[in-house]
Amino acid sequence: MKKISIFEVAYKNLLRKKTRSLLTILGIAMAAWVLVSLFGFNRGYEASLNKDIDNLGFQMLVVAKGCPYEAATLMLKGGTGLKYMKEDIVAAVTAEPEVDGVTAMLMQVVFDPNKGETGGLAAFLGVDPVSFPKMKSALPFKAGGWFEEPEAAEAVFGYEAAELEQREVGDIYLIPEKEVEVKVVGILERTGTQDDGTIFLPIKTVQRIFGVKGELTSIGIKVKKDADIKAFEDKMYKLPDVQVVSLSQVKTTIMTLVSTARVMVFSIALIAILIAMMGVINTVLMSVMERRQEIGILKSMGAMAGDVFKLVWLETIILCISGGLVGTALSLLTARLTDVLVRNLLPYSPSGGLVAIDFKLVLMTLGVVTAIGLASGVYPSWKAARMRPLDTIRSEGES
Amino acid sequence: MKTITEHGRPAGARTRLTRVLAVVVLGLGLAAPALHAAVGCDLNDPDRDVKRLFPGSTGYKTLYVSISKKGGDDLLKRIEARLGDSFTGLFETADVPYTMYQVYKGPDLIGFIHGVNQKGTYGGLQVFLALDLKGVIKGFYFQKLTAKAAKAFRDPAFGSQFVGLSLEDFYKYDVASGREQPPGPISRIKNPDPASEKDFRATLRATKKNLVLVDEFLLGNPYLKFFRG
Repeated sequence: MKKISIFEVAYKNLLRKKTRSLLTILGIAMAAWVLVSLFGFNRGYEASLNKDIDNLGFQMLVVAKGCPYEAATLMLKGGTGLKYMKEDIVAAVTAEPEVDGVTAMLMQVVFDPNKGETGGLAAFLGVDPVSFPKMKSALPFKAGGWFEEPEAAEAVFGYEAAELEQREVGDIYLIPEKEVEVKVVGILERTGTQDDGTIFLPIKTVQRIFGVKGELTSIGIKVKKDADIKAFEDKMYKLPDVQVVSLSQVKTTIMTLVSTARVMVFSIALIAILIAMMGVINTVLMSVMERRQEIGILKSMGAMAGDVFKLVWLETIILCISGGLVGTALSLLTARLTDVLVRNLLPYSPSGGLVAIDFKLVLMTLGVVTAIGLASGVYPSWKAARMRPLDTIRSEGES
Repeated sequence: MKTITEHGRPAGARTRLTRVLAVVVLGLGLAAPALHAAVGCDLNDPDRDVKRLFPGSTGYKTLYVSISKKGGDDLLKRIEARLGDSFTGLFETADVPYTMYQVYKGPDLIGFIHGVNQKGTYGGLQVFLALDLKGVIKGFYFQKLTAKAAKAFRDPAFGSQFVGLSLEDFYKYDVASGREQPPGPISRIKNPDPASEKDFRATLRATKKNLVLVDEFLLGNPYLKFFRG
């Protein structure tokens, strides 16, 4: 006679009520899916934000005083009303002992009537040919390199800007509205950051072309590693007519905002897990009650309370692990979709992947789901184990 | 970060949030991608543009195709042969995704819209064609054009010279030499600015390329029989 293992018995028991088992597995799968996606988002968002800030090359930005929101809006409306700082502020900042490097920038926007049906905007970022490439040393070039002369009529295109303008190294580009020609000397690789859409020119060239000599829109500051950023920030606030933006603070604020949303979503996930857990207990308990006589016969044939407990507990664990596997697979398959959805919901999203799911996270989730299974299975298993054979057989006769 | 408004008043939490996000936009330079959003050759505002190019249309379907996915190297070679020129440069490759619009009036398909990017002397050109079901040009439109004579090229009188032409006409035009043998309808298209000969020829090349791609991807190659490679 063929011996069958306790695992096979548990598995076959679950197959007897296929729909019920499937629905329970789906409930657990949903909870596991939410859990993996949330933890994946938690990791991915912070990693991408850090990468964006690192790619920026500087940790602090000094901009002209005034509401930056207003400046951004005006810039997007046509470049008028931009707030400027005087160039001599660079020397004052550079003199500070905490400063490792400084780079001055000037952004200008022009209206291009030949873009679309009603015209569009073209933005140019004037950068210092010496300090900017040093700070942005991680920026890879697809072709060419940075301009070398401080007043050269040359441009470096981000990948998407080059694609839109169909420019390659050696081509000429015509700045709309100003009708000034510049030579393309470099095309950046696609980075997935704001640099992809930027057209860089030497800052002096931008000042000359746009008639804003001696003016800047921002200064990027790289602070020394051992410097007290907070104290340095306070010092910068004392400069006249400027506003200081510490990117570490920006990051903290964004992370605080995201954390608030995350706490809410984690609460929902917790409720989902609790509902799934109740579902498991209900399913297994019902199954136990339906098999009272069967359990009674098993016990009268010599099965110990421990054996019955093990059998029912195993059924619960099979349900939970199956649900966990389906849920984690689902989260892996829909990671890209989750990324897109979250990106549309958040007010600011960094450029990299927002959902980072790795093997460790999958294992952790399976661990959590198994633990839920173990906990959920205790009561139904205990209930089954303490059934008395005589009572169960008697109840059969009564029914 | 200090939260002082322009008027020196402490700002509320909402203002602080707005400011932080605005600073992020400025600081991380997010204004730039907004200005150079999706690259490719989509209509900027399909709902509006389809209505303008096909008055009376009631809807459209968008198809995304690329040479590499549709037929790979063999297809690229055939398209290059039909165009009479090779695909060149960083951005004219078999991987370029083409966005094609099928235009409907009620349940009936009434035409197509398709645009291509083309390298010009001073920047990119985006040449859009509105075509009837037989692949005959009904409308010509520069969605974007960086050129010294942009105004002349975008003049409706220039675009109207393309109306009524098809790929059969363009086969006789050699994009490499810029000549039509024997002279025919393409030779009659007048360059609006003789000093911009390169941009004029780039426009004709973009139009021919556009027609070849539409024939390959939308019409099922009815013009292949006219091709004398």
